[in-house]
Amino acid sequence: MADKEATVYIVDVGKSMGQYRSGREVTDLEWAMQYVWDSITSTVATGRKTAMLGVIGLKTTNTSNELEDDPHFSNISVLSEIKQFLMPDLRQLGDEIKPSNTDKGDAISALILAIQMIITHCKKLKWKRKIVLITNAMGRMSGENLSDIVSKIQEDSIDLVILGPDFDDPDYGSKEEDKDPRKAENESLLRTVSEQCDGVFGTLEQAVSEMVIPRVKAVRPIASFKGFLQLGNPKDYDTAVRIPVERYPRTMVAKAPSASQFVQRSDMAAGQEDTGPSETVVGDQPEDGGSLTSVRNLRTYQVSDESAPGGKIEIERDDLAKGYEYGRTAVHISETDENITRLDTEAALELVGFIQSEKYDRYMHMSNTNIIIAQRPNDKASLALSSFIHALFELESYAVARLVTKENKPPLLVLLAPSIEPEYECLLEVQLPFAEDIRTYRFPPLDKVITVSGKIVTEHRNLPNDDLQAAMDNYVDSMELVDKDEDGDLVEAPFPIEDSFSPVVHRINAAIRSRAINPNEPIPPPAAILTQFSQPPQHLLESATQQLKKLIEVADVKKVPPKAKGRKRAREPEKPLSGLDVDALLSQEKRVRISPNNAIPEFKQTLAHAENIETTKDAVKQMRAIVEDQVKHSLGDANYDRVIEGLGVIREELISYEEPGLYNDFLRGLKEKILKEKLGGDRRELWWLLKRSKLGLIDQMQSELSDVTEEDAKAFLSAS
Amino acid sequence: MAEDNYPREDDALEEEEELDETTFKTVRDALLFAIEVSDSMLQPRPSADPKKSSQESPASAALKCAYHLMQQRIISNPHDMIGVLLYGTKLSKFYDEDENSRGDLSYPNCYLFTDLDIPSAHEVLELRSLVEDEDKAHEILVPSEEQVSMANVLFCANQIFTSKAPNFLSRRLFIVTDNDNPHQSKKSLRSAATVRAKDLYDLGVIIELFPISQLDHEFDTSKFYDDIIYKASPMDPDAPAYLKPDSKTADSQDGISILNSLLSSINSRSVARRALFSNVSLELGPNFKISVSGYLLFKRQEPARSCYVWLGGEKPQIAKGVTTQIADDTARTIEKWEVRKAFKFGGDQVSFTPEELKGLRSFGDPTIRIIGFKPLSALPFWANVKHPLFIYPSEEDYVGSTRVFSALYQKLLKDQKVALVWYVARKTAGPVLAAMVAGEEKVDENGVQKFPPGLWILPLPFADDVRQNPESTLQVAPEPLIDQMRTIIQQLQLPKGGYEPAKYPNPSLQWHYRILQALALDEDLPEQPEDKTLPKYRQIDKRAGDYVLSWADELEKQYAKIPATSGVKTTLAKRPAKDTAAADKAAPPAKKAKPAVGGAADPQAEVQKHFQKGTLSKLTVAVLKDYLVSQGRSVAGKKADLVERVEELLETK
Repeated sequence: MADKEATVYIVDVGKSMGQYRSGREVTDLEWAMQYVWDSITSTVATGRKTAMLGVIGLKTTNTSNELEDDPHFSNISVLSEIKQFLMPDLRQLGDEIKPSNTDKGDAISALILAIQMIITHCKKLKWKRKIVLITNAMGRMSGENLSDIVSKIQEDSIDLVILGPDFDDPDYGSKEEDKDPRKAENESLLRTVSEQCDGVFGTLEQAVSEMVIPRVKAVRPIASFKGFLQLGNPKDYDTAVRIPVERYPRTMVAKAPSASQFVQRSDMAAGQEDTGPSETVVGDQPEDGGSLTSVRNLRTYQVSDESAPGGKIEIERDDLAKGYEYGRTAVHISETDENITRLDTEAALELVGFIQSEKYDRYMHMSNTNIIIAQRPNDKASLALSSFIHALFELESYAVARLVTKENKPPLLVLLAPSIEPEYECLLEVQLPFAEDIRTYRFPPLDKVITVSGKIVTEHRNLPNDDLQAAMDNYVDSMELVDKDEDGDLVEAPFPIEDSFSPVVHRINAAIRSRAINPNEPIPPPAAILTQFSQPPQHLLESATQQLKKLIEVADVKKVPPKAKGRKRAREPEKPLSGLDVDALLSQEKRVRISPNNAIPEFKQTLAHAENIETTKDAVKQMRAIVEDQVKHSLGDANYDRVIEGLGVIREELISYEEPGLYNDFLRGLKEKILKEKLGGDRRELWWLLKRSKLGLIDQMQSELSDVTEEDAKAFLSAS
Repeated sequence: MAEDNYPREDDALEEEEELDETTFKTVRDALLFAIEVSDSMLQPRPSADPKKSSQESPASAALKCAYHLMQQRIISNPHDMIGVLLYGTKLSKFYDEDENSRGDLSYPNCYLFTDLDIPSAHEVLELRSLVEDEDKAHEILVPSEEQVSMANVLFCANQIFTSKAPNFLSRRLFIVTDNDNPHQSKKSLRSAATVRAKDLYDLGVIIELFPISQLDHEFDTSKFYDDIIYKASPMDPDAPAYLKPDSKTADSQDGISILNSLLSSINSRSVARRALFSNVSLELGPNFKISVSGYLLFKRQEPARSCYVWLGGEKPQIAKGVTTQIADDTARTIEKWEVRKAFKFGGDQVSFTPEELKGLRSFGDPTIRIIGFKPLSALPFWANVKHPLFIYPSEEDYVGSTRVFSALYQKLLKDQKVALVWYVARKTAGPVLAAMVAGEEKVDENGVQKFPPGLWILPLPFADDVRQNPESTLQVAPEPLIDQMRTIIQQLQLPKGGYEPAKYPNPSLQWHYRILQALALDEDLPEQPEDKTLPKYRQIDKRAGDYVLSWADELEKQYAKIPATSGVKTTLAKRPAKDTAAADKAAPPAKKAKPAVGGAADPQAEVQKHFQKGTLSKLTVAVLKDYLVSQGRSVAGKKADLVERVEELLETK
């Protein structure tokens, strides 16, 4: 649990804040609010009930605070008491923050009010207290009783942040020329306050510029396992060792917030409540949010029953038992046997054996990583684990261990590596693959080519020649990522992990915050810092220009024009390993008609040998009869997969033989027959399948010879 | 209405399992074994080792492989099909046709033993009985006197694939035979077979040959099979051209080694190759791209989720779930186009159009872009978040990709370098930074490839993904203690000093399916799971036991030297053994001395004592929990549960 937080923002909304200064395109107030909105929305985004905030307007036209009778506290308004901020609060605040028509109002008085608000709200309880004051330090400020204020801030340990446009900040290097003498005076007063209570005093420019650096959410470490690192079995052997250890995550992928599903509330929806069939497409729904209701998933269960209409019957969830599939067989498991398939295990981290670190391939890492440390506080355990860590380190070894984090959890095999830093020692842990986790796809070697006859060839168009290898070597060497140290010497740069930020997480978070404050504005583009590693560093590219040029030249890589892909006419017919001309044999066989039970191969072969368009047309006509026959005689959906396959093959072949029209005519006819139920009744499910399989008309994108536009093809599919 | 494809579809098959939907084909695999039955295939091959008498014949080895693969695929590919066709048999069977049917047989001497389908428990049982039951084997495994026509066998397979596995992305025929020249001089039969092979090729069926050499000569593919098998795969034009049959399969002479090499060879081809993505560009520099395809060679295999079974019918049936979406306010059914996506924010929803939402995740077209290079040694061990991705060149978009890729691969391998890459897997996948490392080809003892040569992409964590180390106080071990530990570690090296995944099946996955199999086949439940991940305790004791004891002594000595800090004691290291000889050397663990324990330093003895007196409930929850933790048991539940669990533990001791 994170600590409770209470933050009070004091925002100067004086008339002078509405001005454009120092050549900026936004008013001082707008500028200040960039910072304030960013801070507030970050707090709102956490969704935490205990992250509260309040807002005080300084130099407001009216006065509204608990000391409003005191003239010292005039033109100060409490815009929001300390509370959890929600969307309505954000909207309201947005309406209220506007430049006033006065420059009266004392920042120090506002500070006193803020302190008072915090004291009232937090009492003496455990809170993280913070006040953020943003002002242009114009107008009158009274320096009385400053020491009381400072001591109160210190006493309650309130963090104080004071920011302002064009404040002088030698550390950041900002200094306003020709500063208004009163502003200078006020600035120095505020700086004094801030210094005395260890606060932050800075220029707004810095605060706004640092906003783009994504805030990394710190997660409190939670142990995912507390137990023993064991060598041997203590139940049966006296020589077994157990070291009490704890396991914490080292890496864990930060997830972007996920969107939930909503629909327009019925009373708001343009449509009627009993929405008709899906065919009624309505495109003009009102687009504003705020009138949404959530979507629930309703699950029903069906089993097939040939006697029932439609071949399926619906079953109540309560009439179903739990079970598993074993191949095609349903295995039912009664409630009493619920855990029967569970392997009984006991929690432990047991050492299986040791391996040489150089014999381990880094790509076997299967998971995120964890650390293993000795139980805290336990000096003996720490001592024992330390000897293990150092011994592994000295032997350049890793340990393979079996980890069960909780009783009856499935065992994992993990790899343990030593990590020794000056002040920290631990084991690093990562999961290893089991036998079943490996898919053996086989690939030919990359450094030689083996011919069909088994000969090994080292010079081949798929292998680099000496020139290419040399050019590659030079290029790789010239693109080595290095940093410059203080002396300008090149040093080994670490992998950029600490300053690389998850683009999706921060992009989405920023977009939500931006949309929350400005619902009607487009989403801003991603911050540049998120894509800083999307391109090689410029200086590196510049220094490697020559090497790259040489590499491109000798590599002689040619882009395949998109049209040439998949075109068949020019291609050699595929031959078996021996190179035998099967086509010659085929033509001897004289397959006159395409037989329905060997349709696909024979269709392909007919097209391959077609010497004129008539043959092709005839082949398509035959296929049409075969496919329609399959549909007509399909019991339910029994033949649909065959039909889809047939159509898919016809489509692909006719694209590559550049006869898209033949397919399109065929499909138009088929659609009509399906819709008119001429192919053995209601075949709409087939049409749906066909759509899903993307077997619509061949459009101009897919074949230049088609006369069907992309839109027409789309319309053809949807209009049913 | 949103109808599910499989009951499991909405469990969101992990995002990255989605393949690009450019194909109309169903992403499934159908595998048909064609095993020749002949006198020589049935002739047991004696083992070279006289101690091992084996009756293994090439045919029985092939059937065992099929059986093994069938079981394995139920776990790994629960939606894929497998079938077994025997040919050259005296008997014939093809669906409802057999010797007794009227009329001519369509496929004489072809015996479709297991129809091509997702196997059922019954079929597993049938196949097993053919492997194990001699009577059954004698009935079916009888060679025909007539030569079977290979054209007929191939067309039989063609018909099985056409009708049973229409529109499958991958269809494969595994031929196991020792006959390298079935139609020696009969030219017409040969040509017929080559024509039928071409049909299969055009249908998209890949033929894989598992040749077995005969005792008197080696299998020679040039005699017949080179006319049957094609260079490129019809479905995956990128697939590397034909790989030679694994050398040792052909050379094996005795039954056991035939079985082993067949197993390893078939296993290595058991999964149909599916690319995660095809022809994505690998950018080596500005304006310099080649194309590569990506494959997931490592993926955690989980047991299939439980499902609902309907017991009201003749036999148990799996109920198919159908999800309808309804609006929360009026419970009306809603259509897909109505659904809007919104984020919860400040107690309200912040909504985006679908296009905006897509745009938020989009950082450009899929690509793998090299940012620069670094030494492999700079890649920290901990910088990992998930399983790797394997990439291999494809010539589809850029001719010359393979040679450039090869040059890069060889350079990275030679100099032990890695490339830092910006990797966008799919348009909306969100980019990651990754390390690209070269992996050398690895082969097993049978010469079968275990890991292919190529480049691996290892996604790196972002700053957001790195967790801080918890605070802890450090006691650095002094040299003498480390020396002792080093000896222990040196005693316990795994074979060859490396990790061999193939040796460690996932015990809980195997057990899950072992039990399901027993239930499905109505067998007795197995008692003991086979768990290869359990350490070899006896060996550990034998090899390292003495060293462990002396390390424990040293630990006590060193620990005594540490000035007592903050009064917290330790629980460590040596369990209080039944046998005191060892226990004396290592001090019994002194758990955080709870006052309640009445001064007893050993909680275990304390628990034991209370157990014997039947007063376990007098112990505090903390003590009970400590004890349970030390035994690796769960500490969930109320005090009564804890007491019960402790009792259970001590009773069984």
